[in-house]
Amino acid sequence: MSSSVQFYMTTILVYLGVDIIACLGLNLQFGMTGLVNFSFIVFQAAGAYTAAVVTLGPSSGNGGFQRYVGGANWPFPLPILAAAVVGGLLALIIGLFGLRRLRADYQAMVLLVVSLIATTVANNASGLVNGANGLALVPKPLQSTFNLSPLGFQWVFALISLSVAALIYLLVRRITNSPLGRTLRAVRENEFAAIALGKNVAALRLRAFVIGGAIAAVSGALFVEFITAWSPASWLFTESFVYFAALIVGGAGNNLGAVVGAALVPVGFLEATRFIPQFGRPGLVDALQWIVVGLLVALFLWFWPQGVFPERKRRYPPSRLRPSEADSPAPDRAPEMSPGA
Amino acid sequence: MNSVVPAIGFGIITASILALAAVGFTLQFGATNILNLAYGDIMTACAFMAYVATQAGVNIWIALVFSGLFGALFSAALNRFAYVRFIRRGTQLFGMIILSIAASIVIQNILLAVWGASFYSLPVSQGRTFHVATMIFTTTQLVIIAIAAASMLCVHVLLKFTRLGRAMRATATDAALARDCGVSTDRVVDIVWLISGGLCGLAGAALAMNVTSITATTGSEFLIPIIAAAVLGGVGQPYGAMLGALVIGISSEVAAAVIAPSYKEVVAFVILIIVLLVRPQGIFSEIATQKEVVM
Repeated sequence: MSSSVQFYMTTILVYLGVDIIACLGLNLQFGMTGLVNFSFIVFQAAGAYTAAVVTLGPSSGNGGFQRYVGGANWPFPLPILAAAVVGGLLALIIGLFGLRRLRADYQAMVLLVVSLIATTVANNASGLVNGANGLALVPKPLQSTFNLSPLGFQWVFALISLSVAALIYLLVRRITNSPLGRTLRAVRENEFAAIALGKNVAALRLRAFVIGGAIAAVSGALFVEFITAWSPASWLFTESFVYFAALIVGGAGNNLGAVVGAALVPVGFLEATRFIPQFGRPGLVDALQWIVVGLLVALFLWFWPQGVFPERKRRYPPSRLRPSEADSPAPDRAPEMSPGA
Repeated sequence: MNSVVPAIGFGIITASILALAAVGFTLQFGATNILNLAYGDIMTACAFMAYVATQAGVNIWIALVFSGLFGALFSAALNRFAYVRFIRRGTQLFGMIILSIAASIVIQNILLAVWGASFYSLPVSQGRTFHVATMIFTTTQLVIIAIAAASMLCVHVLLKFTRLGRAMRATATDAALARDCGVSTDRVVDIVWLISGGLCGLAGAALAMNVTSITATTGSEFLIPIIAAAVLGGVGQPYGAMLGALVIGISSEVAAAVIAPSYKEVVAFVILIIVLLVRPQGIFSEIATQKEVVM
């Protein structure tokens, strides 16, 4: 393989890993718990900024042309972990006041406004993360430690991002199959029934929000370590919509669907078509891409609202707590969750 | 502090445009229960239609009417050929939110594809200026205020004194009950989309005339203040939306003058968040409570 093909392939693989992680995080919030989190991208951004700041070193570095809070020279895996912590904490703070018991569209609106406020703050508070110019020249991890060639770094990082994606997949699958996952689906399907069974719906939602926020931050951290720059223009609220589109295409509520959606929409569609020749006025191809993404979502909502991989219908055996019912020869009366939202 | 009074003048103009848009938004949400997040982008599309009309040599005020008509037809078509069909097909609340954002993105990017990211301005002569205390208004701005006031009066007369208005209020309060009482709610909903779209179009053209330049994202930036005004007044309540528009319009312009211009939009954000978290049913709450916005 020529080295330019290898560069392209490895870049796509890194994007794939990052987008899979993000989609799994959003799937936990939206697919499983039913939180329409239109501020999702804010947590990815928070992770990216955190990782950038703790790898960039003190703000006086590089001639002090960037102004930001904090600044450290932490070695590789630490920035990712720090990002996860910050993403989780931020989700806790936003979730504590933002996740009220509102109708889903009002809830979506609150979180959408949170996203807009975050963009305004990042743009205007120039001392926080260097304002509208954003952060640049983030050192690539491991490159100097192991004296990697640029191409070697590409392959190493592709491997890292896909491994992290695999880890997150296992983590989210474990949550999905645990009693916690079952309860989260109950909250999504029928909040009042969950309350009636004594579940603390607010705490459950908050938990999904925090875990999803930490996962989003990990995706952002990996991304910024790879592309080495991050600015408010990278995380406009429409980017959250891309991840929603991925889940709707792949299948919300199904982790495999989230992976496939990540491969199809953000990677397969938006990144891989980056190299089609530009025609017409500048920005025309971008606009056409967005139009197609919008139409794609509408198309899937119309024809395949469950996505390519619909959520598995879960059947639970009759409860062992009530032997009289369990003994009755009526398997069709087994309680069954209704299919996904 | 002497920048406050002129800022109130700007606030009244912003509030007039906001009132047109917010009343349209709230009428539609109240009657149909669809949160139409594409509303801001329809506004931009209407403003561009006004631009096209003026480029064709049409008088600016006729272009404004044309913009209103386009908005009415476009909104009604969006409802008939998209939203209603998805709802009948069983798309749930989550899906409808995503769908309205998809519509917003498609409309905005069609505008971007056709007109690019550059700025366009309507050929408005601002006319002579009038001084009221230390507030300054141009003739165009006074006409915008007059159009808004007249539209609000029309909405008031329509809702209070006509059969259609009564049917609209009945549909907004309880659609099922209204249907049982013989109100043809489907027809009422179509008319509501027409009126809402018409107000949206007027607001879009008025906004373009006031800010002097428009681009493909002008309307979507205006969406949050619109929603803030509608929610503050209580969703589905046209009078509430008028009040909300006044509060948001004036307070955002005063904040821009007293604190910093970049805080103009933050005021709307903050008011919206506070209202949603503290009193999501808004000031006038009957319809919002009926719609179970607070669970």
